[in-house]
This record gives sequence, structure tokens and C-alpha cells, in this order.
Amino acid sequence: MLKTSTPMTSPWQGVLKLIYQRRDDTTQPIQSYSKAPYKLQHPFYPQGGDICYSTILHTAGGIVGGDQLYQSIQLQPHTHAVITTASASKIYRNNGSTAYQKTDIEVQENACLEYLPREMIVFEGAQYNQQLRVNLAPTATWLGWEIVRFGRSARGEQFLQGDWRSRTEVWQDGRLIWVDCPWLPGGKEVWENPHGLAGCPLVGTLVWLGKPVSSELIAQIRKLWHQMETTGEAGTTKLMSGLLCRYRGNSYREVINWFTNIWRLLRQWDGKATPVTPRVWQV
Amino acid sequence: MTILKLLQLSSSALPLGAYSYSEGLETAIEQDQIRGKEDLRQWLSDELSYGAIRLETALMLRGYRCWATQDLDSLSYWNQWASAVKETSELREQSWQMGNTLTRLLLSLETVRRESNQGSWDLEQGINLMGKPCNYAIAFGMGAAHWQIDEHSAVLGYLHSWATNLMNAGVKLIPISQTLGQQLLLQLHPEMESATTTILNLRDDELYTCSWGLGLAGMQHEIQYTRLFRS
Repeated sequence: MLKTSTPMTSPWQGVLKLIYQRRDDTTQPIQSYSKAPYKLQHPFYPQGGDICYSTILHTAGGIVGGDQLYQSIQLQPHTHAVITTASASKIYRNNGSTAYQKTDIEVQENACLEYLPREMIVFEGAQYNQQLRVNLAPTATWLGWEIVRFGRSARGEQFLQGDWRSRTEVWQDGRLIWVDCPWLPGGKEVWENPHGLAGCPLVGTLVWLGKPVSSELIAQIRKLWHQMETTGEAGTTKLMSGLLCRYRGNSYREVINWFTNIWRLLRQWDGKATPVTPRVWQV
Repeated sequence: MTILKLLQLSSSALPLGAYSYSEGLETAIEQDQIRGKEDLRQWLSDELSYGAIRLETALMLRGYRCWATQDLDSLSYWNQWASAVKETSELREQSWQMGNTLTRLLLSLETVRRESNQGSWDLEQGINLMGKPCNYAIAFGMGAAHWQIDEHSAVLGYLHSWATNLMNAGVKLIPISQTLGQQLLLQLHPEMESATTTILNLRDDELYTCSWGLGLAGMQHEIQYTRLFRS
């Protein structure tokens, strides 16, 4: 049998599996498995045992064409977890093949997941496709956000080539309650036109799902935005069983501040402890 | 005879209230993102190439094909999908209102149609089994299949009906002359044809939309101070 050397650019097949269970009045990860390039930091409990904070590391520095990453996260009844990432994730320009990330999330009765990764930076020329499927029990909730920067804008890069796609499906009790399928085909028109990015490299989406929301909550979230000094654009709307916020602009600080304020408000609305901003976010 | 059915189904005279929706245009115009005919043409052209109408029309086609093959489970699945994918609550309300109105209308046209009889399956039963609310794209697809309009024509008719409605909204809001509006519509013909070819060949795993501007305009429309339109 011929021995073949692994090329430097050999794609990753990363796996992450997390299962949380309520034990001794504490949310505990009873399974936490990771295969490179994923790695998990030790969970921490800045707010007592109810809420477990987990941080995912991506040790390879970035995602390249051909990578296939898979995450599976399960929250058993009455657990509450916050999951974040240690650093911005980078999607490199690639050699013609697409990088895939697939995530399955299951949130069981009376459990709550807050999945709040840091920014994703998509290099010009990257080809990326991610799929997320969330299954919620009737009494479960899920808060998720995603902040995407197209092109390394600090050095003036735009996203005139490449292709970025994301598909999310959220089911609750066998009913499809939210589908999101944003796409960015690289190109000058999409980049510049007001229908697309209007020249803004940064977009953000925050979604909270699992229960119907009141118009008052929507109004409060809009107020949080209007109280800030901002340069970008934002919008908030009601979903069939939750709410959706979008952002388009230039400032990571302003979108992360707004989203963090919404996170605080939702905790308060739910009668839960004010969240602690994970240390890894401090820059 | 099919051409007449297509004209009727995609006519702006169909009493669905389409004229009361601008799909975010009212906000985009208020915010000066669209200032004249050329900006409006570009916006509609972006919609046809990558936007929400491309996705909606692909859903219409799924409604059409499910009805044509009598696959009610899939019809119901795509109807749920169509509700779940709406970018704003106003766009969802619009789709449900127009869809429910269209299914009622199709049912009341059945008595006339039966006299000229084609032996397709029972519309009333199908609509009842699918349940409410019915999204407009799905209702249009069912109607087109039930009236035996071919799918290529159904897609063109759906896009034309959408473009006519938004062109009219632009004429009132920007405002531009009726003649400029008609010129714009004619200019969009090649883009409608090429979108039709794309949409007829889109696989289920190719359903995506690039429409951040539309989504933001639609959300901001909900709090716009003065407005003539319902979306």
C-alpha cells in the first residue's frame, strides 16, 4: 500500500458533541466530545449552578474549502446553557471547494439555550455553506445570534467574489416555526445596492424562539436601539413564535452592544438572572 | 383557453387587495434609497436575480407541483415553509390575507368552471385538508395547476403580477409617471424570463435569498410614521 503524505491544506472533519443534564440543581455537561479543530474550554458558572457557560475554540485559526464541521448540542429538561466562541471565526478564501458546517440543536422541556458566537469573518473568495436545525420542545426557548463580516474590511477588502449561504430551520413540537436562508453571492451590485448590503460589510441577525412575544417587548427592543448612538440600520419584527432582529452597518461594537442589551432584556422578561458577558468577549 | 385563464389569475383586477402592499418600497422610497425610475428598476431587478420574489416564486412552483401530483402532505409542508420564511410580520400577514382570499375566490369560481368541466380533483376538499392560513404563493400555485396552466406560464404570470403591483406602488410613491412605470415594466421582461428559467430549475437545497435591504425596509415599515401601504 502506498503511503501518501497529508498535504498542508488537508481539510478538517471537526466534530463537537455537547449534552447538558440537570443534576444536583446544576446544569452539567454530561457529554462533551470534541474532535479537532474543535476544542472545548472548561465550563464555568458565573451565575451559580443554574446556568452553564461553555466556550468553543476553533484551534485551526480558520475554516478552509473542503472542511466539514459538525456540531450536535442537546439540552435535557430544565437545563440552561450559554454557548459562545473564544474568537472570531474566519472563513478563508478557497481553492474552489466549499466549506460546510452543520449543526443540530435539541432543546427539551423547560430548557433554554443561548447560542451566542462571536463574529464570523468571511474572506473575499470564500465559499461557505452552513446548516442549522433546531428542535424545540413546547416549553423550550432558544436565543441565537450571528454577526457576519464580509471581506476583511479593515484592509478595505470587499466581497466581490465568493459565495456564502446559511440555512436555519427551527421546529417546535413538530411544527416549522422559522426558516432563514440568507445568501451572499459575491458581486459589485449586491455589495453596493441598497437592496443588498448598501456598501456595509457587517450584518447581524438575532432570533429568539419558543414562545409568542408581545408587542410591548418588540417596542422595548426597538427602544434599546433608538437609545444608542448608531450609524447602521436595524429592524425588529415578530415571528410566529418569537422575534427577529436584523442589523446592517459598519460597527461591530454597535451591533454587539444592541444584541447584548436585548439578551439582558430577554433574561429580565423571562424572570432570570442578568447575564454575565463572557470574559472571552473582552477585547 | 389557457392564456385567458393565465390572464385572469395574474390580473391586477383579481380582488385580492394586492394594491395595498408595497413590500418595503414605501420605506425604501421614504429613506431615499429609491429616488426615481432607475433606482426602482434596479431594486426589482435585484429581487428577480437573488431576492425574496425568486424564493416566493419557487414556493409557488412547489405548490403547483404538489397540487398537480395530488401530494397534499408536501403541499402542507411547503405552506408551513412559506409561513416560516417570511422576513417580517407584515409580509406574513400580506401573504396569508391574499392567500386566504384567493382560495375563497377559486372556490367560488368552481361552479362556473365545472360547467365547462375538466375532471381534476376536488378543490374544496384539498383546500380544507391543507388548512389555514394559506400563503398567497401556495394558493396561486394550486390555482394555476387546478386551471391547467402550464408551469412555465404560471411562473411568468406570478412574476408579472408581482412586478405590476410594485411598479404601481412606485408610480404612486416616488412618484413617477404612468408612462415611465410602463417603460420600467417592459424593461424588466428579459429579467423576468431569465428568472423564470432559473426558478424552474432550482432544487430544494438551492432555496436562498439575498435581500437584507428588503428585510430592513420591511421591518422599519412597521414603525413608519405616515404610510399608505400595509407592508
